[in-house]
Amino acid sequence: MRHDTMGIILTGDEKIAPLTDIRANSALPIAGRYRIIDFVLSNMANAGIVNVGVATESNYSSLMDHIKSGKPWDLDRKKQGLNILPPNLEKQQFGVIKGNIDLLAGISDYIHRSNQTYVILSLGNMVYNMDLDAVVNAHIENQADITAVYKDLKGVDESDLTRFTLLELDEDKRVKDIEVQPYYPKTTNASMEIYVMEKALLESIVDECSARGDSDFVKDAIIKKMGGMRIFGYEFTGTFYKVDSMKSYYKTSMDFLNAEYREELFNSERPIYTKTKDQSPTKYGEEAICTNSFVSDGCVIEGTVINSILSRGVKIAKGAVVQNSIIMQDSVIEEGVELNHVVFDKEVCITSGRKLIGQESYPLAISKGTKI
Amino acid sequence: MVSKNCVAMILAGGQGSRLGALTKNVAKPAVPFGGKYRIIDFPLSNCVHSGIDTVGVLTQYEPLELNTYIGNGNPWDLDRSHGGAYVLPPYQSGESGEWYKGTANAIYQNLGFLEGFNPKNVLILSGDHIYKMHYGEMLKAHMESGAAATIAVMPVPWEEASRFGIMNTDESGQIVEFEEKPAEPKSNLASMGIYIFKYDVLKKYLTDDERDASSSNDFGKNIIPKMLADGEKMMSYRFEGYWKDVGTIQSLWEANMDLIDDPPKFDLNDRSWIIYSRNYALMPHFMGDTAEVTRSTVTEGCSIEGKIDHSVIFSGVKVGRGAVIRDSVIMPGAVIGKGAVIEKSVIGPKAVIGAEAKVGVNHESEDNPYNSKYCTHGIVLIEGGAEVADGADIRKGSMVQIED
Repeated sequence: MRHDTMGIILTGDEKIAPLTDIRANSALPIAGRYRIIDFVLSNMANAGIVNVGVATESNYSSLMDHIKSGKPWDLDRKKQGLNILPPNLEKQQFGVIKGNIDLLAGISDYIHRSNQTYVILSLGNMVYNMDLDAVVNAHIENQADITAVYKDLKGVDESDLTRFTLLELDEDKRVKDIEVQPYYPKTTNASMEIYVMEKALLESIVDECSARGDSDFVKDAIIKKMGGMRIFGYEFTGTFYKVDSMKSYYKTSMDFLNAEYREELFNSERPIYTKTKDQSPTKYGEEAICTNSFVSDGCVIEGTVINSILSRGVKIAKGAVVQNSIIMQDSVIEEGVELNHVVFDKEVCITSGRKLIGQESYPLAISKGTKI
Repeated sequence: MVSKNCVAMILAGGQGSRLGALTKNVAKPAVPFGGKYRIIDFPLSNCVHSGIDTVGVLTQYEPLELNTYIGNGNPWDLDRSHGGAYVLPPYQSGESGEWYKGTANAIYQNLGFLEGFNPKNVLILSGDHIYKMHYGEMLKAHMESGAAATIAVMPVPWEEASRFGIMNTDESGQIVEFEEKPAEPKSNLASMGIYIFKYDVLKKYLTDDERDASSSNDFGKNIIPKMLADGEKMMSYRFEGYWKDVGTIQSLWEANMDLIDDPPKFDLNDRSWIIYSRNYALMPHFMGDTAEVTRSTVTEGCSIEGKIDHSVIFSGVKVGRGAVIRDSVIMPGAVIGKGAVIEKSVIGPKAVIGAEAKVGVNHESEDNPYNSKYCTHGIVLIEGGAEVADGADIRKGSMVQIED
């Protein structure tokens, strides 16, 4: 148990239309039976953290429905455990959320009430499987004020790097400079936006920023205070995805078809937990063909499925061909339908004989409940 | 304390010795079934869907796995503040204390538990049947008839009737006679081993039965006949649906096969009557480039690279490239090596089948050292955790066990 550390998950509001029209992006279904937030929640639970706050911004009912009491993560505790924290607009400046400081200010009572010494801040839309316990240990050992987890994205497209906050480090891994989504990146060390610090420091940063009308934790607090603080980078060498666009959502999802990534992200030492739906096993029909695909329970597959990811309860009728696609819960693909590079939200129904083709660079996304 | 209208007691202490090596280390109700379930999930889920929220599970034989599986009852929504799931093993008390001597004695020893809930009725179930049944409707019929006991019955083929406990009833459904395995059955209504008793009547008969040293303390042999003889009103409750006793390797195999018929004889993909089970944190199953799966079910945690037809693949099973599986039941965590061929077999949990091994492919032979009386109809059983060597040839009708 990591009784000295609390976790705070900030659920952002990056839009991935149309999937986020009905839910916060942290609640996006991914890898068949999961929601993105399952990864960070499981990481925290696996580190033995027993007090986790989930700060929500907007559109959070689907997130609340998913997390509920926190039981799957063993976070349904008598004291503390999992806390879903809806936005507190009165405490936030001008009643709107401009940045993460506003979110944190809105939950300042909860932070204050918690009795842990350290806090881990993380975003809800990151996919990774990491030993967070080791991060806190390194933080303590370095006598750091703030520890920022990063991954060296060497070899990644420069245009992709501009999605991240980049950390310039010296040879002792101390942070020399920070650039938020720079146009011309000077380094490949991308912040995973996981920060460890003493809870008291976080409280004073939030208080000070709020008082000044500042709203961004990195730009307004860390960068400005960098000179006087010991900020250390902690390198993570595993797989890490930030899901902030349809392109990154599609890429992240499809990479689960790669055994190496799959086995790292779902390793048995640090399992990823999720809410169970008690679906029966998936049934394959007489003419079913299914290869290189990730299939959840409760599906009925009678057609062809290639290079695809199916959530729970999907039905693929005879003669239908689904390729390179992501099909979410309870969608129904009728006879003879042809799909390639599509992303279907829940309960989409494609009637007999239709053909829907997207492109790898621009998958065709269809919103929940659509019938075509 | 608020008293309960009905408390269920599941008899889950039996060894199920006819399941051979499958029940060497676990009680029969804990035997895996249907891809991601265990046999006891069926009565437990039925209870919850029937509005029965207090369930005692009576364990005795190899209880560890079953106890751990049931835990606090949360997977079945049976973690309740008042009621819920209780595992009830035999216990020592004062100067007495003994093993459960029979089904009736097991309930007798737990009258103290029942007393705590002061139920009006007690539902007695067994932990070794596969079926979906609304006990609430049976309870309603029981209460409306005012019977001392109501027994669920189902019609069985006449030629098989002599294998069952047969209830002879009048037109109103009242039971007039009970015959255990009659040579010449007068009716084809078999007892399903599901009883609802008025609690006060049950308590009296169990207490009397305990005093009778000659009794074998069994519901079918002693309690039911005694109540009939005393003229107590006993009603039958007719059930028409899928019901299967999975007491033998052949019937367990067959019941699994019933799930993959098209349409299935027994449908697990029924959102109005979900069978709950304890879930483990397993990822969706992965179908590799060389996977070919037809007429089968596959579930979480599996990784399939071989060819599978007409089989039930349980959670976390790995099937290697070039392996061929037909008409088989592959239990949780089993690993099937590359190029292995498996036909009409039950592969126990976490068993490992070596590469290019043949299981259940070649015909029975009298000199086969693995021949077993439990493996009828040519079915092969590989004990959970056993390893079959690369290239081995396990003939039909074999039971392969771990050597002690």
